[in-house]
Amino acid sequence: MRVLIVEDDPTIAGFVARGLAEEGFTVDTAHDGRTAFTMATAEHFDLAIVDLMLPAIDGLSLIEQLRAHGITMPVLILTAKRSLDERVEGLQRGGDDYLTKPFAFPELLARVQALLRRAGGRPESARLVVGDLSLDRLRRVVERQGRPIDLRAREFAVLELLMRHAGQVVSKTMILSQVWGYNFDPGSNVVDVAVFRLREKVDKGFDTPMIFTVRGAGYVLKAA
Amino acid sequence: MFSRLRDRLVRTFGFRLATWYFGLFVIGTALVLMTAHQLLSWSLQQREREIIEATLTRYALAFQRGGLPRLDASIAADRATGRYEPMLVRVVTPDGLAIRFSLPADWTRFNLAQLSAGPLLDRGWGEISAPGSRERLAIASRFIGDRTLVQVGRSTLLQDEVLRRFRQVALLIFGGVVVVAAVGGRALTRAALQPLRELTTTIRSTLEGGTGAARVPVRRVEDEIDELGLLVNRMLDRIDGLIAGMRGSLDYVAHDLRTPVTRLRATAESALHSTGSVEACRDALADCVEESERVITTLDALMDLAEAEAGTMALRIQPVDLAEVARDAVDLYGGVAEQKGVRLAADLPTHVPITGDRNRLAQAIANLLDNAVKYTPAGGQVTVAATTTNGHARLTVRDTGIGIPADELPHIWERLYRGDRSRSERGLGLGLSLVHAIARAHGGSVSAESTAGQGSLFSLLLPIHPPSKMTQM
Repeated sequence: MRVLIVEDDPTIAGFVARGLAEEGFTVDTAHDGRTAFTMATAEHFDLAIVDLMLPAIDGLSLIEQLRAHGITMPVLILTAKRSLDERVEGLQRGGDDYLTKPFAFPELLARVQALLRRAGGRPESARLVVGDLSLDRLRRVVERQGRPIDLRAREFAVLELLMRHAGQVVSKTMILSQVWGYNFDPGSNVVDVAVFRLREKVDKGFDTPMIFTVRGAGYVLKAA
Repeated sequence: MFSRLRDRLVRTFGFRLATWYFGLFVIGTALVLMTAHQLLSWSLQQREREIIEATLTRYALAFQRGGLPRLDASIAADRATGRYEPMLVRVVTPDGLAIRFSLPADWTRFNLAQLSAGPLLDRGWGEISAPGSRERLAIASRFIGDRTLVQVGRSTLLQDEVLRRFRQVALLIFGGVVVVAAVGGRALTRAALQPLRELTTTIRSTLEGGTGAARVPVRRVEDEIDELGLLVNRMLDRIDGLIAGMRGSLDYVAHDLRTPVTRLRATAESALHSTGSVEACRDALADCVEESERVITTLDALMDLAEAEAGTMALRIQPVDLAEVARDAVDLYGGVAEQKGVRLAADLPTHVPITGDRNRLAQAIANLLDNAVKYTPAGGQVTVAATTTNGHARLTVRDTGIGIPADELPHIWERLYRGDRSRSERGLGLGLSLVHAIARAHGGSVSAESTAGQGSLFSLLLPIHPPSKMTQM
């Protein structure tokens, strides 16, 4: 998979590029809109990560020009503004996604993967399996070592999110936005407690834990 | 430069006002005096004519009845009374012979030849003038019997004298009016513009030296100027309040941001200087990430508040089930409450359909719940309930917590306000302000009742259909 990063801040560009490279992506970086346009029209990329504030051509204009050239790769927009303007909303409806700065890398990775999955048109399988833990999204059944685990609706959703990103860190922000649909920090340690309760059900009574807390980043579910 | 321009404007306006006042006053008086003069002149003429014609009738009758002797007797009788002296009497026979022509000796200066002129005779009435003098003779003429002409005339000297006197007095009055109009116009304009000048002075001093204590003097007569002054004062008060609020919140912001940033820096520095294990460094880094997360959360909340206060909070209005949003929040906080030993109960109807921004409403409810759970000790209870009453949905969060002292209750919605009670609990201090802001952005309101030591009741009142203005925000 080849990703084009369009970001004028070298620190952020380097940070994202290194992270994606570690995940096995081929990464190219452009520091301004014009260079990015030249690169994207000359070569094939599977996905672009575009910062909105760019020298030469701003991010939105770049995306619009690329679309006008018939380049349909999915785009992840980076923005420092919290409130989205209408143009970004329009792009979002067109299948692209956005992420507000500052962001945690795991979240960026999850969104990149989701965009690629959607673009690739691969249907998600109804059954997720990580190690001895399985989750059936249609029957809404979770089993570990064949033993059924009784989960409440939100616990099921949190586990599904962790399993879909098995081995990767899932941030609190991601859990809040994907499970509860909250785009804000509700304060307190609500997510910690929710994951703690999930862990009580998934890990308790089994030899090896599967859900781990990664301090300062989020949670990760790994095969036992 | 602006102040000079404004000065000139005020002056010009004052000048214009005074000029108008002066002009109207003077022209009005002049018109009145001129009309009076015309009326007086006309009525004098009228009276004169009546007298002359009455005399003519009497003389003509006397002449007809008894010829010249009777006429002379009549004239002599009149002279004896001295009433209508001096007078011209002329009787001309049809063959042009003046058989009687009596007049004061000095009237020969009049152009007496005109006495027989056509117009005078045809109309029966007219005037003859004297060269080099304004004085005229008013003459009535009548033919009697065998076309004998009888003429009686009187000098206009008396009327002219009366009119001249009148004009003198009128001129005096007019002069007085001019002076009064000039002085009064200036005084009146000054008085009328005085409040405006005070307003200008106040606003200028505000512009130059900050709002401070300068206020527009109000005379309590409740006229338009007073109203303007009161409004300006209210505006200045509001600005003062906003500035004070901004200063206050800036201090709090600085504090709220400084604290995590200081911790972040301290953690990073001590990790840098330590020769500890990689594990210890990772821990320190994780701490740094958590602290920076806190900074971002605070910034987000501040931005939300700033947007809400500026009235620019963007709402994505759509149909929302408030009961469902509340259940989600209860679900989210259920774990935290349980861990703390607080019972979190929901008394919610199946559906409470309203229109609003789901995310913002969820944030408001989450903040209320967060607050309630935070300030309720173990063994307490938090109850979330919702009802629908004519056009409004009411969501309440009741806790059996430590309550809010009565003197703090009015301030809890103020940005960054944190009562004494939160010293032991971490909190942003922005939560309730945000609830307030979100409620207001939806055209709703939020209120709190509390008894210290017994708990609080927070009510979020939302219109089922927010005002149409809100949907465009």
